[in-house]
Amino acid sequence: MHVLVVEDDERVASHVVKGLKGEGWLVDHVADGRQALFQVAAETYDVIVLDRMLPNVDGLKILQTMRASGDSTPVLILSALGDVDNRVKGLRAGGDDYLAKPFAFSELLARVEALSRRKAVVQETTALNLADLEMNLLTRTVTRRGRAIDLTTREFSLLEYLLRNAGRVVSRSMLLEAVWDYNFDPQTNIIDQHVSRLRQKIDKDFDPPLVQTIRGMGYSLRA
Amino acid sequence: MIWRAPLRSLTLRLTLVYMALFCASVGIMLAVTYVGGVWRPLRQVEAQVTSESDALVAIYRAQGRDPLIRALEHRSATAHSRMRYHVLIAPGGAVVASNLVDWPKVTGREWLRYEFGTYATGTEEEHEAVVRDLALPGGYRLLVGLDTEDLDEREDLIFEALSWGAGMSLALGLLGGLVMTFAVSQRLDRINRAARAVIAGDLSGRVALHGSGDDFDQLSATLNEMLARIEGLVASISRVSDNIAHELRTPLTRLRAELEELADAGDDHEEVKARTGAALEEAARLQSMFEALLRIARLQSGPREKGARVDLSALLEDAVELHRPAAEDRGQGFITRIAPDLVIDGDRDLVFQMVSNLLDNAMKFAPEGGVVCLDGQPTPDGVLVTVVDNGPGVPEAERSRVLERFYRSAGSRTEGFGLGLSLVAAAAERHHAELRLEDAAPGLRVVIRFRT
Repeated sequence: MHVLVVEDDERVASHVVKGLKGEGWLVDHVADGRQALFQVAAETYDVIVLDRMLPNVDGLKILQTMRASGDSTPVLILSALGDVDNRVKGLRAGGDDYLAKPFAFSELLARVEALSRRKAVVQETTALNLADLEMNLLTRTVTRRGRAIDLTTREFSLLEYLLRNAGRVVSRSMLLEAVWDYNFDPQTNIIDQHVSRLRQKIDKDFDPPLVQTIRGMGYSLRA
Repeated sequence: MIWRAPLRSLTLRLTLVYMALFCASVGIMLAVTYVGGVWRPLRQVEAQVTSESDALVAIYRAQGRDPLIRALEHRSATAHSRMRYHVLIAPGGAVVASNLVDWPKVTGREWLRYEFGTYATGTEEEHEAVVRDLALPGGYRLLVGLDTEDLDEREDLIFEALSWGAGMSLALGLLGGLVMTFAVSQRLDRINRAARAVIAGDLSGRVALHGSGDDFDQLSATLNEMLARIEGLVASISRVSDNIAHELRTPLTRLRAELEELADAGDDHEEVKARTGAALEEAARLQSMFEALLRIARLQSGPREKGARVDLSALLEDAVELHRPAAEDRGQGFITRIAPDLVIDGDRDLVFQMVSNLLDNAMKFAPEGGVVCLDGQPTPDGVLVTVVDNGPGVPEAERSRVLERFYRSAGSRTEGFGLGLSLVAAAAERHHAELRLEDAAPGLRVVIRFRT
């Protein structure tokens, strides 16, 4: 997978580039708006990570130029302007996702991977599984070690999202956005209670526990 | 101030303009009176003198000197509203006929107004007359006139009135103007002094009121209200920045402590993992706090975008569903009354966060086993969202303060930043929604009135 990182802050860029390389991505990096325009035209990428504030050419301008020329490469916008209005502006300009600074690398990775999957039109999955946990998306049933587990609709969506991102860390705001479709930073433990109920159902009577709490970041589903 | 640059005083300039206008109107009034009362009658008299003298000249031309003398005598003897005067002088300078004491010896003009002495009533009197001075063929000079003493008196009266009137109005206007300028500049000086005190840094300075409730008092009262608001805002800003500094101290200290222990952890893998996790948790907490602060600040000052239609009924149901597990863990129950098809214009994520914060807050204050009520009901002009808890409530005096950033009421548990209600207030304002805190006896009732 080939990703372009357009970011002028050296420290942030090296953090992102190193992290993505560590995950097996082929990473190109440019720090300047004009170079970015050139690079986007010259190469084909699976995902582009685009900072909004750039020297020479503004990030949104690059995005508009790309979309105007028919380039539909998925773009994740990075910005220190983490406001609702800016988010809306970024998405309207043709961005596919938006991540406010400061961010956890795990969240950036999850979003980049989600975008690359979107492009790679994988065939519609009908089943997800991790270790002895199985989810059938057609019958909407979940079993562990062959035993049926009764989940509410919301718990099912929560587990589906965790399964699709198995092995990765997902933050509480990512869960809120993916499962409830509301975008904000929940500062209390409301999401934790939902996760702990899910955990009760899929982990309590089984071993090993699959739902891991990652301190300071969120949750991860791991075997 | 006014005495240093009198012409820069608006009041004085206005006074001068009014004085000029007043003088002009007095002048116009007198001019009209003069034209109607003096000028026109004089023209009529002239016309009469012209026709009479023309007739006399015709008699002289046709019949000679003596018939003219007879005609003159007859004329002055005939009763008329004005006295008739005549003088006929022979070529040598001898007076042939006259009913006057004196007359202008030489004149170059045909028409003149002259002050005659007359014996008409037996005693000599000064009378003014309009006189026509004609040279007759044969060297005779004929003066024919009509008495215009009444018009002359009237004219004098008008000029007298003009000079007195103009003088008096000038004097009064000047005096009034100075008094007014002084009074106004004194009132303005008070406002100026108060404003300078505020500029110098004393935000508690206020403009002293006169007590009469006049325009200046109203202006001063408005300025005082403005100053009170500014003082309140400045106090709240300095409180907030104090609070931010204070609130940062704790998580930064904890973050530092975790990192220091991490540096000392050496090869103890479990310890490294625990310390890193704890440090990340503190960093995340700091980040959340900053995001909440920034969000509130942007909501308060950022540009307003037109909202989209939000299905409020579904949003409220979602919010309850999201919070139910956390509430149940505390043995708390929700009672909801949500009308179907509630729709408002707004930012869906923001409205959800508002409701979520209010539910968080209610759950925080409701006792274990308590109840939180969420109502969403239509009103004639919008939607009313109400969140009620049966906790200790908020005393009247504290209600406006709980909306301030970082304010935590005494009964509050330590969790949370004290930003939740501030964000609700800022978001409500952005939606032009009215936010009210009320006593639910027991507990707190928060009412948001959305207008559509």
